[in-house]
Amino acid sequence: MSGVAAIADGVVSGAAPAAAVARETGERLRRAADLNATLHWSQELLDRDAARLDQLPPAERTRLPLAGVPVALKDNIVTTDQPTTCGSRILEGYVSPYDATVVGRLKGAGAIIASKTNLDEFAMGSSTEHSAWGRVKHPLDPARVPGGSSGGSAALVAAGVVPAALGSETGGSVRQPASFCGVVGVKPSYGRVSRFGLVAFGSSLDQVGVFGRTVDDAARVLAVISGHDPNDATSAAEPPVTLEPARRDLRGLTFGIPGEYVPADLDPGVKAGIDRAVQAIQDLGGTVRQVSLPHTRFAVPCYYIVAPAEAAANLARYDGVRYGQRRVGPEGDVRALYRATRGQGFGPEVRRRILIGTYVLSSGYYDAYYRKAQQVRALLADDFRKVFAAGVDLLLTPTTPTPAFKAGEKTEDPVAMYLADIFTCSLNLAALPAMSLPVGRSGGLPIGAQLVAPMFADARMLSVAAVLETVLDPTREVR
Amino acid sequence: MSIRPEDVLHVARLAELDVAEADLPKLVEQMGRIVGFVEQLNEVPAGEQAPPFLAGPGRTPLRPDKVAPVPLVRPPSAIAPEFTHGFFSVPRLGAMEGE
Repeated sequence: MSGVAAIADGVVSGAAPAAAVARETGERLRRAADLNATLHWSQELLDRDAARLDQLPPAERTRLPLAGVPVALKDNIVTTDQPTTCGSRILEGYVSPYDATVVGRLKGAGAIIASKTNLDEFAMGSSTEHSAWGRVKHPLDPARVPGGSSGGSAALVAAGVVPAALGSETGGSVRQPASFCGVVGVKPSYGRVSRFGLVAFGSSLDQVGVFGRTVDDAARVLAVISGHDPNDATSAAEPPVTLEPARRDLRGLTFGIPGEYVPADLDPGVKAGIDRAVQAIQDLGGTVRQVSLPHTRFAVPCYYIVAPAEAAANLARYDGVRYGQRRVGPEGDVRALYRATRGQGFGPEVRRRILIGTYVLSSGYYDAYYRKAQQVRALLADDFRKVFAAGVDLLLTPTTPTPAFKAGEKTEDPVAMYLADIFTCSLNLAALPAMSLPVGRSGGLPIGAQLVAPMFADARMLSVAAVLETVLDPTREVR
Repeated sequence: MSIRPEDVLHVARLAELDVAEADLPKLVEQMGRIVGFVEQLNEVPAGEQAPPFLAGPGRTPLRPDKVAPVPLVRPPSAIAPEFTHGFFSVPRLGAMEGE
Protein backbone atom coordinates (compact mmCIF):
# COMPACT_ATOMS: atom_id res chain seq x y z
CA MET A 1 0.00 0.00 0.00
CA SER A 2 1.22 3.52 -0.85
CA GLY A 3 1.77 6.26 1.71
CA VAL A 4 -0.42 9.33 2.28
CA ALA A 5 1.46 11.64 -0.12
CA ALA A 6 1.58 9.10 -2.96
CA ILE A 7 -2.14 8.27 -2.68
CA ALA A 8 -3.09 11.96 -2.70
CA ASP A 9 -0.77 12.61 -5.67
CA GLY A 10 -2.37 9.76 -7.64
CA VAL A 11 -5.90 10.98 -6.91
CA VAL A 12 -5.10 14.62 -7.69
CA SER A 13 -3.42 13.75 -11.01
CA GLY A 14 -6.05 11.19 -11.91
CA ALA A 15 -3.39 8.48 -12.35
CA ALA A 16 -4.96 6.41 -9.53
CA PRO A 17 -8.55 7.62 -9.06
CA ALA A 18 -10.23 7.65 -5.65
CA ALA A 19 -12.66 4.99 -6.87
CA ALA A 20 -9.77 2.54 -7.22
CA VAL A 21 -8.40 3.51 -3.80
CA ALA A 22 -11.85 2.90 -2.27
CA ARG A 23 -12.17 -0.50 -3.93
CA GLU A 24 -8.71 -1.60 -2.79
CA THR A 25 -9.34 -0.32 0.74
CA GLY A 26 -12.54 -2.37 0.89
CA GLU A 27 -10.66 -5.47 -0.27
CA ARG A 28 -8.01 -4.97 2.40
CA LEU A 29 -10.66 -4.44 5.10
CA ARG A 30 -12.31 -7.71 4.08
CA ARG A 31 -9.00 -9.59 4.13
CA ALA A 32 -8.17 -8.19 7.58
CA ALA A 33 -11.53 -9.16 9.12
CA ASP A 34 -9.89 -11.81 11.35
CA LEU A 35 -8.07 -9.07 13.30
CA ASN A 36 -11.47 -7.84 14.60
CA ALA A 37 -10.03 -4.35 14.29
CA THR A 38 -13.02 -2.83 12.48
CA LEU A 39 -16.45 -2.23 14.01
CA HIS A 40 -18.21 -0.41 11.14
CA TRP A 41 -17.47 0.12 7.47
CA SER A 42 -19.31 -0.06 4.19
CA GLN A 43 -18.14 -0.35 0.61
CA GLU A 44 -21.10 1.80 -0.39
CA LEU A 45 -19.88 4.75 1.74
CA LEU A 46 -16.30 4.32 0.50
CA ASP A 47 -17.49 4.33 -3.12
CA ARG A 48 -19.81 7.30 -2.55
CA ASP A 49 -17.06 9.47 -1.04
CA ALA A 50 -14.57 8.40 -3.71
CA ALA A 51 -17.00 9.22 -6.52
CA ARG A 52 -17.48 12.76 -5.12
CA LEU A 53 -13.73 13.28 -5.25
CA ASP A 54 -13.30 11.90 -8.74
CA GLN A 55 -16.10 14.16 -10.01
CA LEU A 56 -14.41 17.33 -8.72
CA PRO A 57 -12.65 19.54 -11.27
CA PRO A 58 -8.90 18.73 -11.22
CA ALA A 59 -8.08 22.26 -9.98
CA GLU A 60 -10.24 21.71 -6.87
CA ARG A 61 -8.69 18.29 -6.15
CA THR A 62 -5.25 19.93 -6.22
CA ARG A 63 -6.21 21.92 -3.14
CA LEU A 64 -6.97 18.76 -1.11
CA PRO A 65 -3.85 17.60 0.82
CA LEU A 66 -5.43 14.23 1.67
CA ALA A 67 -7.29 13.65 -1.61
CA GLY A 68 -8.59 10.08 -1.57
CA VAL A 69 -6.49 9.02 1.44
CA PRO A 70 -8.34 6.34 3.43
CA VAL A 71 -8.19 7.14 7.16
CA ALA A 72 -9.69 4.89 9.86
CA LEU A 73 -11.22 6.41 13.01
CA LYS A 74 -11.35 5.03 16.52
CA ASP A 75 -14.98 4.38 17.35
CA ASN A 76 -15.09 7.07 20.05
CA ILE A 77 -14.88 9.85 17.43
CA VAL A 78 -18.39 10.75 16.35
CA THR A 79 -19.55 10.49 12.74
CA THR A 80 -22.92 11.16 11.13
CA ASP A 81 -22.90 8.38 8.58
CA GLN A 82 -21.60 5.51 10.71
CA PRO A 83 -22.43 4.46 14.29
CA THR A 84 -20.26 5.41 17.28
CA THR A 85 -20.33 2.77 20.01
CA CYS A 86 -17.14 3.40 22.01
CA GLY A 87 -16.84 -0.40 22.12
CA SER A 88 -19.75 -0.47 24.57
CA ARG A 89 -23.14 -2.21 24.63
CA ILE A 90 -24.58 0.93 26.20
CA LEU A 91 -24.10 2.86 22.92
CA GLU A 92 -25.09 0.03 20.58
CA GLY A 93 -26.67 1.55 17.46
CA TYR A 94 -25.93 5.17 18.44
CA VAL A 95 -25.41 7.48 15.45
CA SER A 96 -24.28 11.04 16.18
CA PRO A 97 -26.21 13.97 14.72
CA TYR A 98 -22.94 15.84 14.05
CA ASP A 99 -19.39 15.08 12.91
CA ALA A 100 -16.40 15.62 15.21
CA THR A 101 -14.26 18.60 14.21
CA VAL A 102 -11.42 16.25 13.24
CA VAL A 103 -13.79 14.34 10.95
CA GLY A 104 -14.95 17.54 9.29
CA ARG A 105 -11.34 18.61 8.76
CA LEU A 106 -10.36 15.21 7.31
CA LYS A 107 -13.32 15.27 4.90
CA GLY A 108 -12.57 18.90 4.01
CA ALA A 109 -9.02 17.86 3.09
CA GLY A 110 -10.32 15.12 0.79
CA ALA A 111 -9.76 12.10 3.07
CA ILE A 112 -12.08 9.10 2.84
CA ILE A 113 -13.27 7.72 6.19
CA ALA A 114 -12.32 4.06 5.77
CA SER A 115 -13.87 2.55 8.90
CA LYS A 116 -14.56 2.91 12.61
CA THR A 117 -12.12 0.87 14.64
CA ASN A 118 -12.41 -1.38 17.69
CA LEU A 119 -11.20 -0.13 21.08
CA ASP A 120 -11.28 -0.87 24.77
CA GLU A 121 -14.71 0.16 26.04
CA PHE A 122 -14.79 3.97 26.36
CA ALA A 123 -11.01 3.89 25.74
CA MET A 124 -10.36 2.28 29.14
CA GLY A 125 -7.68 -0.35 28.73
CA SER A 126 -4.23 -1.12 27.42
CA SER A 127 -4.88 -4.24 25.33
CA THR A 128 -8.17 -3.80 23.40
CA GLU A 129 -9.47 -6.86 25.25
CA HIS A 130 -12.14 -4.79 27.04
CA SER A 131 -14.35 -4.22 23.99
CA ALA A 132 -17.94 -5.41 24.06
CA TRP A 133 -17.35 -6.62 20.49
CA GLY A 134 -14.40 -8.89 21.30
CA ARG A 135 -10.65 -8.44 21.42
CA VAL A 136 -8.43 -7.17 18.60
CA LYS A 137 -5.62 -9.51 17.49
CA HIS A 138 -2.02 -8.42 17.00
CA PRO A 139 -1.26 -8.41 13.25
CA LEU A 140 2.03 -10.31 13.71
CA ASP A 141 0.88 -12.82 16.34
CA PRO A 142 -2.86 -13.40 16.83
CA ALA A 143 -2.26 -14.82 20.32
CA ARG A 144 -1.01 -11.40 21.46
CA VAL A 145 -2.70 -8.07 22.04
CA PRO A 146 -2.12 -5.01 19.82
CA GLY A 147 -2.06 -2.73 22.86
CA GLY A 148 -4.81 -0.30 23.66
CA SER A 149 -7.04 1.39 23.91
CA SER A 150 -6.74 2.39 20.22
CA GLY A 151 -5.77 -1.19 19.29
CA GLY A 152 -8.05 -1.39 16.24
CA SER A 153 -6.55 1.71 14.63
CA ALA A 154 -2.99 0.53 15.34
CA ALA A 155 -3.67 -2.96 13.97
CA LEU A 156 -5.21 -1.64 10.72
CA VAL A 157 -2.22 0.61 10.05
CA ALA A 158 0.27 -2.14 10.95
CA ALA A 159 -1.53 -4.63 8.70
CA GLY A 160 -1.30 -2.19 5.77
CA VAL A 161 -5.06 -1.73 5.46
CA VAL A 162 -4.87 2.09 5.76
CA PRO A 163 -1.83 4.38 5.70
CA ALA A 164 -3.07 6.40 8.68
CA ALA A 165 -5.72 6.31 11.40
CA LEU A 166 -6.93 8.40 14.30
CA GLY A 167 -6.93 7.19 17.88
CA SER A 168 -7.32 8.93 21.20
CA GLU A 169 -4.98 9.26 24.16
CA THR A 170 -5.78 9.54 27.84
CA GLY A 171 -2.78 7.67 29.27
CA GLY A 172 -0.90 6.35 26.24
CA SER A 173 -3.65 4.82 24.12
CA VAL A 174 -2.00 5.82 20.82
CA ARG A 175 1.71 5.50 21.67
CA GLN A 176 1.45 2.15 23.50
CA PRO A 177 -0.42 0.29 20.68
CA ALA A 178 1.82 2.01 18.10
CA SER A 179 4.83 0.57 19.93
CA PHE A 180 3.28 -2.91 20.19
CA CYS A 181 2.31 -2.95 16.49
CA GLY A 182 5.45 -1.33 15.04
CA VAL A 183 3.91 1.85 13.63
CA VAL A 184 4.26 5.58 14.33
CA GLY A 185 1.89 6.97 16.98
CA VAL A 186 1.67 10.67 17.87
CA LYS A 187 0.06 12.32 20.90
CA PRO A 188 0.01 16.05 20.22
CA SER A 189 0.28 18.73 22.91
CA TYR A 190 -2.87 19.07 25.02
CA GLY A 191 -5.07 21.60 23.25
CA ARG A 192 -3.45 21.22 19.84
CA VAL A 193 -6.22 19.12 18.29
CA SER A 194 -9.93 19.77 18.83
CA ARG A 195 -11.82 17.30 21.01
CA PHE A 196 -15.22 18.47 19.80
CA GLY A 197 -16.86 15.14 18.98
CA LEU A 198 -14.34 12.97 20.83
CA VAL A 199 -16.36 11.06 23.44
CA ALA A 200 -15.01 12.28 26.78
CA PHE A 201 -13.12 9.98 29.17
CA GLY A 202 -10.67 12.07 31.25
CA SER A 203 -11.14 15.68 30.21
CA SER A 204 -7.87 17.07 31.59
CA LEU A 205 -5.96 14.28 29.78
CA ASP A 206 -7.78 13.36 26.54
CA GLN A 207 -6.27 14.16 23.14
CA VAL A 208 -6.92 12.92 19.61
CA GLY A 209 -3.78 11.23 18.25
CA VAL A 210 -2.57 9.91 14.89
CA PHE A 211 -1.14 6.60 13.66
CA GLY A 212 0.91 6.37 10.47
CA ARG A 213 2.97 3.78 8.63
CA THR A 214 5.67 6.46 8.53
CA VAL A 215 6.35 9.77 10.29
CA ASP A 216 5.42 11.59 7.09
CA ASP A 217 2.03 9.82 6.91
CA ALA A 218 1.20 10.74 10.51
CA ALA A 219 2.49 14.31 10.14
CA ARG A 220 0.39 15.00 7.04
CA VAL A 221 -2.77 13.92 8.85
CA LEU A 222 -1.85 15.87 12.01
CA ALA A 223 -1.26 19.00 9.90
CA VAL A 224 -4.88 18.76 8.71
CA ILE A 225 -6.64 18.00 12.01
CA SER A 226 -4.68 20.36 14.31
CA GLY A 227 -5.33 24.04 14.98
CA HIS A 228 -7.74 26.06 17.10
CA ASP A 229 -11.43 25.14 17.23
CA PRO A 230 -13.89 27.54 18.88
CA ASN A 231 -16.17 24.57 19.63
CA ASP A 232 -13.63 23.19 22.14
CA ALA A 233 -12.89 25.41 25.15
CA THR A 234 -9.65 23.50 25.81
CA SER A 235 -8.42 24.09 22.26
CA ALA A 236 -5.30 26.26 22.32
CA ALA A 237 -4.96 29.37 20.16
CA GLU A 238 -2.09 27.72 18.27
CA PRO A 239 -1.71 27.26 14.51
CA PRO A 240 -1.88 23.81 12.89
CA VAL A 241 1.26 21.66 13.17
CA THR A 242 3.16 22.54 10.00
CA LEU A 243 5.63 20.16 8.41
CA GLU A 244 9.17 21.45 8.84
CA PRO A 245 11.70 21.18 6.00
CA ALA A 246 13.43 17.80 6.17
CA ARG A 247 16.47 17.71 8.47
CA ARG A 248 19.64 16.03 7.29
CA ASP A 249 21.02 15.30 10.75
CA LEU A 250 20.55 16.02 14.47
CA ARG A 251 23.51 18.34 15.01
CA GLY A 252 22.87 21.04 17.58
CA LEU A 253 20.17 19.06 19.39
CA THR A 254 20.47 17.65 22.93
CA PHE A 255 18.54 14.54 23.90
CA GLY A 256 17.85 13.67 27.54
CA ILE A 257 17.58 10.04 28.65
CA PRO A 258 15.75 9.92 32.00
CA GLY A 259 17.30 7.23 34.19
CA GLU A 260 13.89 6.50 35.76
CA TYR A 261 12.64 5.24 32.37
CA VAL A 262 15.49 2.75 31.92
CA PRO A 263 15.38 0.69 35.15
CA ALA A 264 17.73 -2.22 35.73
CA ASP A 265 14.92 -4.75 35.23
CA LEU A 266 13.75 -3.31 31.89
CA ASP A 267 12.96 -5.97 29.28
CA PRO A 268 16.28 -6.71 27.47
CA GLY A 269 14.68 -6.33 24.03
CA VAL A 270 13.26 -2.93 24.94
CA LYS A 271 16.64 -1.88 26.38
CA ALA A 272 18.37 -2.98 23.17
CA GLY A 273 15.86 -0.94 21.16
CA ILE A 274 16.64 2.20 23.16
CA ASP A 275 20.37 1.55 22.82
CA ARG A 276 19.91 1.39 19.06
CA ALA A 277 18.01 4.70 19.05
CA VAL A 278 20.73 6.35 21.19
CA GLN A 279 23.39 5.12 18.78
CA ALA A 280 21.39 6.49 15.84
CA ILE A 281 21.09 9.91 17.52
CA GLN A 282 24.84 10.02 18.12
CA ASP A 283 25.62 8.85 14.58
CA LEU A 284 23.46 11.71 13.29
CA GLY A 285 25.40 14.26 15.34
CA GLY A 286 22.99 14.69 18.28
CA THR A 287 24.18 14.99 21.88
CA VAL A 288 22.87 12.53 24.49
CA ARG A 289 22.73 13.41 28.17
CA GLN A 290 21.47 11.51 31.25
CA VAL A 291 18.70 13.40 33.08
CA SER A 292 16.40 12.75 36.02
CA LEU A 293 12.61 13.03 36.39
CA PRO A 294 12.42 12.21 40.10
CA HIS A 295 8.62 11.91 40.48
CA THR A 296 8.26 9.36 37.65
CA ARG A 297 7.30 6.43 39.88
CA PHE A 298 4.23 8.33 41.06
CA ALA A 299 2.86 8.84 37.55
CA VAL A 300 0.78 5.65 37.31
CA PRO A 301 -0.82 5.95 40.79
CA CYS A 302 -1.48 9.64 40.08
CA TYR A 303 -3.03 8.79 36.71
CA TYR A 304 -5.26 6.09 38.25
CA ILE A 305 -6.81 8.67 40.54
CA VAL A 306 -7.22 11.54 38.06
CA ALA A 307 -8.47 9.49 35.09
CA PRO A 308 -11.14 7.41 36.90
CA ALA A 309 -12.37 10.48 38.81
CA GLU A 310 -12.89 12.37 35.58
CA ALA A 311 -14.34 9.27 33.89
CA ALA A 312 -16.89 8.82 36.69
CA ALA A 313 -18.11 12.36 36.08
CA ASN A 314 -18.04 12.15 32.26
CA LEU A 315 -19.84 8.81 32.10
CA ALA A 316 -22.72 10.00 34.30
CA ARG A 317 -24.54 11.01 31.10
CA TYR A 318 -25.06 7.35 30.11
CA ASP A 319 -28.17 6.87 32.20
CA GLY A 320 -30.80 5.66 29.74
CA VAL A 321 -32.38 9.12 29.61
CA ARG A 322 -29.75 11.37 28.06
CA TYR A 323 -27.64 8.63 26.41
CA GLY A 324 -27.51 4.87 26.45
CA GLN A 325 -29.71 1.90 25.67
CA ARG A 326 -32.49 2.25 28.26
CA ARG A 327 -33.25 -0.62 30.62
CA VAL A 328 -36.08 -0.20 33.10
CA GLY A 329 -35.33 -1.79 36.48
CA PRO A 330 -37.77 -4.06 38.34
CA GLU A 331 -38.86 -1.35 40.82
CA GLY A 332 -39.94 0.96 38.00
CA ASP A 333 -38.48 4.10 39.57
CA VAL A 334 -35.93 6.47 38.10
CA ARG A 335 -33.01 5.20 40.19
CA ALA A 336 -33.73 1.64 39.12
CA LEU A 337 -33.70 2.83 35.50
CA TYR A 338 -30.31 4.47 35.97
CA ARG A 339 -28.84 1.51 37.83
CA ALA A 340 -30.15 -1.12 35.43
CA THR A 341 -29.09 0.87 32.33
CA ARG A 342 -25.59 1.46 33.67
CA GLY A 343 -25.14 -1.87 35.47
CA GLN A 344 -26.07 -3.87 32.37
CA GLY A 345 -24.73 -1.50 29.71
CA PHE A 346 -21.16 -1.01 30.95
CA GLY A 347 -18.54 -3.78 30.91
CA PRO A 348 -16.45 -4.80 33.94
CA GLU A 349 -13.45 -2.48 33.39
CA VAL A 350 -15.64 0.61 32.91
CA ARG A 351 -17.72 -0.30 35.99
CA ARG A 352 -14.52 -0.77 38.01
CA ARG A 353 -13.15 2.62 36.96
CA ILE A 354 -16.45 4.40 37.66
CA LEU A 355 -16.46 2.84 41.15
CA ILE A 356 -12.84 3.87 41.81
CA GLY A 357 -13.51 7.37 40.47
CA THR A 358 -16.61 7.78 42.59
CA TYR A 359 -14.71 6.47 45.63
CA VAL A 360 -11.83 8.97 45.30
CA LEU A 361 -14.26 11.85 44.79
CA SER A 362 -16.60 10.85 47.62
CA SER A 363 -17.09 12.84 50.79
CA GLY A 364 -14.05 12.67 53.06
CA TYR A 365 -11.72 11.25 50.40
CA TYR A 366 -11.51 14.10 47.86
CA ASP A 367 -8.55 15.85 49.52
CA ALA A 368 -6.73 12.61 50.31
CA TYR A 369 -6.94 11.30 46.74
CA TYR A 370 -8.00 13.71 43.97
CA ARG A 371 -6.51 16.91 45.38
CA LYS A 372 -3.32 15.06 46.34
CA ALA A 373 -3.08 13.56 42.84
CA GLN A 374 -3.43 16.98 41.22
CA GLN A 375 -0.62 18.28 43.46
CA VAL A 376 1.63 15.36 42.51
CA ARG A 377 0.70 16.00 38.88
CA ALA A 378 2.05 19.54 39.22
CA LEU A 379 5.34 18.11 40.55
CA LEU A 380 5.53 15.64 37.65
CA ALA A 381 4.98 18.46 35.14
CA ASP A 382 7.63 20.54 36.92
CA ASP A 383 10.17 17.71 36.48
CA PHE A 384 9.78 18.02 32.70
CA ARG A 385 9.82 21.82 32.77
CA LYS A 386 13.15 21.83 34.66
CA VAL A 387 14.79 19.35 32.28
CA PHE A 388 13.77 21.34 29.19
CA ALA A 389 14.81 24.60 30.88
CA ALA A 390 18.26 23.08 31.46
CA GLY A 391 18.95 22.87 27.73
CA VAL A 392 17.44 19.53 26.73
CA ASP A 393 15.60 19.74 23.40
CA LEU A 394 13.89 16.36 23.43
CA LEU A 395 13.64 13.34 25.71
CA LEU A 396 14.10 9.75 24.56
CA THR A 397 12.57 6.86 26.52
CA PRO A 398 11.11 3.42 25.85
CA THR A 399 7.40 3.64 24.94
CA THR A 400 6.47 0.48 26.82
CA PRO A 401 8.21 -1.69 29.44
CA THR A 402 7.76 -4.87 27.34
CA PRO A 403 6.84 -5.87 23.77
CA ALA A 404 3.22 -6.95 23.09
CA PHE A 405 1.99 -9.37 25.75
CA LYS A 406 -0.27 -12.40 25.34
CA ALA A 407 -4.05 -12.03 25.38
CA GLY A 408 -5.50 -12.85 28.80
CA GLU A 409 -2.15 -12.34 30.54
CA LYS A 410 -3.23 -9.25 32.50
CA THR A 411 -7.03 -9.17 32.37
CA GLU A 412 -7.50 -10.46 35.94
CA ASP A 413 -4.98 -8.07 37.49
CA PRO A 414 -5.95 -4.45 36.83
CA VAL A 415 -2.80 -3.03 38.46
CA ALA A 416 -0.55 -5.17 36.19
CA MET A 417 -2.52 -3.89 33.18
CA TYR A 418 -2.21 -0.27 34.39
CA LEU A 419 1.60 -0.62 34.56
CA ALA A 420 1.64 -1.13 30.77
CA ASP A 421 1.20 2.68 30.65
CA ILE A 422 4.12 3.39 32.98
CA PHE A 423 6.21 5.29 30.40
CA THR A 424 3.34 7.03 28.62
CA CYS A 425 0.80 8.34 31.13
CA SER A 426 3.21 10.90 32.64
CA LEU A 427 3.07 12.85 29.36
CA ASN A 428 -0.72 13.01 29.45
CA LEU A 429 -0.47 14.22 33.04
CA ALA A 430 2.07 16.88 31.99
CA ALA A 431 0.08 17.71 28.79
CA LEU A 432 3.24 17.44 26.62
CA PRO A 433 3.59 16.20 23.02
CA ALA A 434 5.08 12.72 22.67
CA MET A 435 5.28 10.00 20.04
CA SER A 436 6.33 6.40 19.53
CA LEU A 437 8.71 5.52 16.71
CA PRO A 438 9.40 1.87 15.77
CA VAL A 439 13.11 1.13 16.24
CA GLY A 440 13.35 -2.61 15.57
CA ARG A 441 12.07 -5.98 16.75
CA SER A 442 12.86 -8.31 19.63
CA GLY A 443 11.90 -11.96 19.14
CA GLY A 444 9.90 -10.84 16.11
CA LEU A 445 7.84 -8.31 18.10
CA PRO A 446 8.08 -4.55 17.48
CA ILE A 447 9.85 -2.21 19.92
CA GLY A 448 9.06 1.50 20.09
CA ALA A 449 11.10 4.45 21.32
CA GLN A 450 9.29 7.47 22.71
CA LEU A 451 10.26 11.04 21.87
CA VAL A 452 8.98 13.82 24.16
CA ALA A 453 9.09 17.54 23.32
CA PRO A 454 8.32 20.75 25.21
CA MET A 455 4.77 22.15 25.03
CA PHE A 456 3.71 22.93 21.45
CA ALA A 457 7.06 21.79 19.98
CA ASP A 458 5.16 19.06 18.10
CA ALA A 459 6.76 20.00 14.75
CA ARG A 460 10.31 19.73 16.17
CA MET A 461 9.50 16.25 17.52
CA LEU A 462 8.16 15.09 14.14
CA SER A 463 11.12 16.45 12.19
CA VAL A 464 13.57 14.66 14.51
CA ALA A 465 11.59 11.41 14.23
CA ALA A 466 11.66 11.72 10.43
CA VAL A 467 15.49 11.81 10.45
CA LEU A 468 15.77 8.90 12.89
CA GLU A 469 13.35 6.89 10.75
CA THR A 470 15.77 7.05 7.83
CA VAL A 471 18.45 5.11 9.74
CA LEU A 472 16.35 2.76 11.93
CA ASP A 473 15.03 -0.36 10.18
CA PRO A 474 11.83 -1.22 12.12
CA THR A 475 11.87 -4.83 10.95
CA ARG A 476 15.46 -5.61 12.04
CA GLU A 477 16.09 -7.55 15.26
CA VAL A 478 17.64 -5.32 17.94
CA ARG A 479 19.68 -8.14 19.53
CA MET B 1 -6.93 1.48 53.58
CA SER B 2 -8.82 -1.78 53.07
CA ILE B 3 -12.00 -1.85 51.02
CA ARG B 4 -15.02 -3.64 52.51
CA PRO B 5 -18.07 -4.99 50.66
CA GLU B 6 -20.20 -2.21 52.17
CA ASP B 7 -17.78 0.40 50.76
CA VAL B 8 -18.23 -1.00 47.25
CA LEU B 9 -22.03 -1.10 47.63
CA HIS B 10 -22.06 2.47 48.99
CA VAL B 11 -19.98 3.78 46.09
CA ALA B 12 -22.08 1.78 43.60
CA ARG B 13 -25.20 3.52 44.96
CA LEU B 14 -23.52 6.93 44.53
CA ALA B 15 -22.51 5.99 40.98
CA GLU B 16 -26.00 4.64 40.15
CA LEU B 17 -24.62 1.23 39.19
CA ASP B 18 -26.21 -2.15 39.86
CA VAL B 19 -23.58 -4.55 41.23
CA ALA B 20 -24.51 -8.23 41.05
CA GLU B 21 -23.95 -10.11 44.32
CA ALA B 22 -21.81 -12.66 42.51
CA ASP B 23 -19.45 -9.88 41.32
CA LEU B 24 -19.00 -8.34 44.76
CA PRO B 25 -16.09 -10.43 46.19
CA LYS B 26 -13.96 -9.90 43.07
CA LEU B 27 -14.73 -6.17 43.01
CA VAL B 28 -13.81 -5.82 46.68
CA GLU B 29 -10.50 -7.56 46.06
CA GLN B 30 -9.67 -5.59 42.88
CA MET B 31 -10.69 -2.21 44.29
CA GLY B 32 -8.66 -2.94 47.42
CA ARG B 33 -5.61 -3.62 45.27
CA ILE B 34 -6.13 -0.45 43.19
CA VAL B 35 -6.68 1.78 46.24
CA GLY B 36 -3.61 0.26 47.94
CA PHE B 37 -1.60 0.96 44.79
CA VAL B 38 -2.63 4.63 44.43
CA GLU B 39 -1.96 5.29 48.12
CA GLN B 40 1.76 5.41 47.19
CA LEU B 41 1.09 9.09 46.60
CA ASN B 42 1.10 9.63 50.37
CA GLU B 43 4.91 9.26 50.19
CA VAL B 44 5.14 12.52 48.19
CA PRO B 45 5.72 15.44 50.54
CA ALA B 46 3.27 17.81 48.84
CA GLY B 47 1.98 20.16 51.53
CA GLU B 48 -1.56 21.38 52.00
CA GLN B 49 -0.75 24.57 50.11
CA ALA B 50 0.95 22.90 47.11
CA PRO B 51 -0.74 24.13 43.94
CA PRO B 52 -2.72 21.57 41.93
CA PHE B 53 -2.08 21.09 38.20
CA LEU B 54 -4.34 22.91 35.78
CA ALA B 55 -4.56 21.50 32.28
CA GLY B 56 -5.41 23.57 29.27
CA PRO B 57 -4.40 26.85 27.70
CA GLY B 58 -3.41 29.61 30.11
CA ARG B 59 -5.93 31.88 28.46
CA THR B 60 -9.17 30.40 27.18
CA PRO B 61 -10.02 31.88 23.79
CA LEU B 62 -13.57 33.21 23.96
CA ARG B 63 -16.16 32.95 21.22
CA PRO B 64 -18.14 35.98 20.05
CA ASP B 65 -21.52 36.41 21.77
CA LYS B 66 -23.50 35.17 18.80
CA VAL B 67 -26.14 32.46 18.67
CA ALA B 68 -25.31 30.11 15.83
CA PRO B 69 -27.45 27.19 14.61
CA VAL B 70 -26.48 23.82 16.06
CA PRO B 71 -24.83 21.89 13.20
CA LEU B 72 -27.00 18.75 13.40
CA VAL B 73 -27.54 16.65 10.30
CA ARG B 74 -30.72 15.16 11.77
CA PRO B 75 -33.47 16.87 13.82
CA PRO B 76 -33.97 15.96 17.52
CA SER B 77 -37.02 13.86 16.59
CA ALA B 78 -34.71 11.51 14.66
CA ILE B 79 -32.26 11.22 17.57
CA ALA B 80 -34.62 10.63 20.49
CA PRO B 81 -35.95 7.18 21.31
CA GLU B 82 -39.37 8.84 21.77
CA PHE B 83 -40.34 12.37 20.73
CA THR B 84 -43.90 13.72 21.09
CA HIS B 85 -45.24 17.20 20.22
CA GLY B 86 -41.77 18.72 20.31
CA PHE B 87 -40.76 17.07 23.60
CA PHE B 88 -38.41 14.22 24.49
CA SER B 89 -40.51 11.46 26.12
CA VAL B 90 -39.22 9.27 28.93
CA PRO B 91 -40.94 6.34 30.66
CA ARG B 92 -43.42 7.13 33.42
CA LEU B 93 -41.46 6.61 36.61
CA GLY B 94 -43.32 6.09 39.89
CA ALA B 95 -40.61 7.47 42.17
CA MET B 96 -40.73 10.90 40.54
CA GLU B 97 -44.46 11.44 40.95
CA GLY B 98 -44.39 12.14 44.68
CA GLU B 99 -41.43 14.54 44.42
